[in-house]
Amino acid sequence: MTRILLADDHTVMRNGLRLLLERQPDLKVVGEAADGRQAVEMAAAEHPDVVIMDIAMPQLNGVEATRQIVNRNPDTAVAILSMHKDESYVIRSLKAGARAYLLKDSAEADLIAAIGAITEGKSFFSPGVRSLLKEDYMHQLDEVGAEDSYELLTTREREVLQLVAEGKSNKEIASLLNLSLYTVETHRTHILQKLNLHSAPELILYAVRKGIIS
Amino acid sequence: MVPAPRTARLTGGRPLLVAGFGSLLLLMLVAGAYALRTLEQVRTSDLQERNNYLSRGRALDRVRTGIYQSAIVMRDYLLATDAQSSALQIQRFATTREQTDRALAECASLIDSSENAALHDFQSELQYYWKLLAFISEIPPEHRAVRGSEYLSTQVRQHRAELIKMVDQLDAISARQMAASDARMSETFARLRGRLALILAFAVGTGLLLAAFTIWRTLGLERELEQRYQEVLTAQHELKELSARLVSAQEEERRAISRELHDEVGQSLSALLMEAGNAVANVPPDAIHVRQHVDSIKKLAEASVNIIRNMTLLLRPSMLDDFGLVPALEWQAREVSKRTGIRVQVAAADSAGELPDALKTCIYRVVQEALHNCARHAQARTVRVVVRQEDSRIVLFVEDDGRGFDARRVRGLGLVGMEERVHHLGGVFQVSSSPGAGTRVEVELPVAS
Repeated sequence: MTRILLADDHTVMRNGLRLLLERQPDLKVVGEAADGRQAVEMAAAEHPDVVIMDIAMPQLNGVEATRQIVNRNPDTAVAILSMHKDESYVIRSLKAGARAYLLKDSAEADLIAAIGAITEGKSFFSPGVRSLLKEDYMHQLDEVGAEDSYELLTTREREVLQLVAEGKSNKEIASLLNLSLYTVETHRTHILQKLNLHSAPELILYAVRKGIIS
Repeated sequence: MVPAPRTARLTGGRPLLVAGFGSLLLLMLVAGAYALRTLEQVRTSDLQERNNYLSRGRALDRVRTGIYQSAIVMRDYLLATDAQSSALQIQRFATTREQTDRALAECASLIDSSENAALHDFQSELQYYWKLLAFISEIPPEHRAVRGSEYLSTQVRQHRAELIKMVDQLDAISARQMAASDARMSETFARLRGRLALILAFAVGTGLLLAAFTIWRTLGLERELEQRYQEVLTAQHELKELSARLVSAQEEERRAISRELHDEVGQSLSALLMEAGNAVANVPPDAIHVRQHVDSIKKLAEASVNIIRNMTLLLRPSMLDDFGLVPALEWQAREVSKRTGIRVQVAAADSAGELPDALKTCIYRVVQEALHNCARHAQARTVRVVVRQEDSRIVLFVEDDGRGFDARRVRGLGLVGMEERVHHLGGVFQVSSSPGAGTRVEVELPVAS
């Protein structure tokens, strides 16, 4: 049973979400918050497995609320459900600790799959977001005219990249690829250097852009 | 209408001033003409008087000479030995007498009528003298030598001496008359001087009054001008304030509409989508028509969500308020790139994210307008947007490699709007461009630290 907290300032939206989620037998909505601050408080009280979080909310916006919730309890998987369809919102949500970014206009189709993915520790993005990120990335590559830095990675590094992007921990990756923990960490550092990235969220974003994960 | 009475106030003293200065000038002209005419008259009459005096003197000299001459002629007659020379002397006597009479007449014509009595006396005495002399010619020839000479040296000589005395008196009269004329002249001068002094005093007085009035008027006008200048300045200031208020009101309105659209309309549509999905879940699988209708409802709602999203971003990008300037600029750059194919590079300092709202908005709008210009007019391939924070100021520039324009002549409404925004925040706005050399919009804004 996955326990879910809804955070959205629109009652109609919350009602719709609750209806949608409770059609699934293994999902249970344990609380509804009408603003960011309330969401943080309820997350601390209820310890939900998943928080469905809107960004535009009074008191405290969804990105900040996500940061506070994940800081307090890293096991809580936050899925952003927003109207905003822009890279800056996606990357800030990921940096705040969200694992999924969903667009409200495709919530009905993606929400269940997204909850499944993030409870397994993977990332999830709405197709609209994926195509947007890819489009922007291709456009930027075109503009700069640079070689795709993905070509610089070795086969092993590409494997590690995919697993990292899917949300696997270093330990899991080590056992999956039959490597030492130290080697996995080295690969990780090399990947970040070669791709000129600085954090796990950026790496996930990169993987989405490249179409390595979906 | 306020200006009408003001104009009247400004020009009110004009007729008075024109009349005043006009009459002052006229007065001086008249005084000058009068003085000139009087001086000319005095000069002419002085000249005439002097000529008369000289002529009188000369005539009296001739009279004196004639008196002596006639006595000499008659003595010669007495001494003459033959009839022929006697007749000649008689004839000479007549000539002398006639000349002397003429000279006296000339003198009489030149002498003042008030002295007629003296002249008349003299004339009678002269006629008597002539008779005395003429009597000599009637003395019989045998007595001529003795009686004639005796007669000549007693009767004639005595009378002649009296006559000469009278001529001297006439000379004195002539001189007196001359002196009287001089006195009259002096009097005329004195009168002229008096009148001129009076006119001058009056002119100076009037002039002083006019000058005082003019100064008073000028000072009044200056005060009024200063006052109006201040009014214009105030009006300008108010206009600027108003336009700034309009700009910020417009910005506020956009923000409100954008939020309303996003938060209310957009969210409702999203909820609608979700509810449509929930509705379908409760429909039996074989109700294909219902499913089709719900699908088209969902498609319409999705399209509407997209429209709302684009509208809100165009009105005011939410990242500007949610995350700050840099993400908003980057979004703008991406949008322009996607839409136009222009390569837009944004280099913005991270500190630029924590600017006050007014500054943030100003920079964002300036960049938006500049990029808009690049896309519409410049035919640029690359645009560079740089935002830097230096001490207590923000430096922004947007430069393109487009075809440029003559920055000294072209000043579109877009540029003016940017400039207004920047000036209102106390910043400096500068556009440098020339045909073929791209365009650079540069902005410097003070940041309160």
